[in-house]
Amino acid sequence: MSIVVNPRRLDDVVILDLSGRITMGEGTLVLRDRIQKLLAAGDQKFLLNLADVDYIDSSGLGELVTSFTTIRNHGGQLKLLNLTRRVQDLLQITKLLTVFEVFNSEAEALKTMK
Amino acid sequence: MASKGRRSFELTISSRLEEMQAVHALIAEAVKEYKLNTEMAHWMELSISESMINAIQHGNKADPAKQATLRISSSGDAIEIIVEDEGTGFTLDKIADPTDKANLLKPSGRGILIIRSFMDEVDLSSTEGGGCRLRMVKKLRGVDGAHRQ
Repeated sequence: MSIVVNPRRLDDVVILDLSGRITMGEGTLVLRDRIQKLLAAGDQKFLLNLADVDYIDSSGLGELVTSFTTIRNHGGQLKLLNLTRRVQDLLQITKLLTVFEVFNSEAEALKTMK
Repeated sequence: MASKGRRSFELTISSRLEEMQAVHALIAEAVKEYKLNTEMAHWMELSISESMINAIQHGNKADPAKQATLRISSSGDAIEIIVEDEGTGFTLDKIADPTDKANLLKPSGRGILIIRSFMDEVDLSSTEGGGCRLRMVKKLRGVDGAHRQ
């Protein structure tokens, strides 16, 4: 199952509810395309809800990093919400937990994005 | 073309990412045959798919005329995975450390780290035909150990 991206908006923050797998190929392209369109429309604050994502490969991790740097280069921010244990383990192994701000509560994440 | 023995699996594919569907299907068969638990199955699938994507993209430069082969077998107390491609190979110890601060924001280079973090043994050698062979071993914790269902 490839990735499904469902965006919703709370004030000026776009929350992307992701489900499925973020993997080499379609999974990464779908995410990239969605974020690029939102950036082009002027959105700058992104919260990726990964509660329903329990499989990310190295390309998927690369896409998260690329999204992070692209958004940051536009003066925006990207934060992660609700990591599954496997994704948390993967970010730990790759030390990407030192790159991303990660939250278990949407409300807490939103507070930091005002 | 895939063939399945009692406790071993083999698949040879052309170097196209579309072929990864067959790779995932073969891994699922092996996981079922070896009765691996869901946690073990997850990391097994991730490690093997990373190695096959490496073989397709880096080893064979995504040339569909070149082939990549996957073999999965079990001795009962360990699972051995062999991935072969037609590339010139690489040196494990010369791969840039993706966890180094200078590399953290690079979009690629994490596949081997993921493989090494899960597998108990990872080594590289040359095939008889001059290609590259990646051998990985995951030890199982006994017949009724924690890695099985």
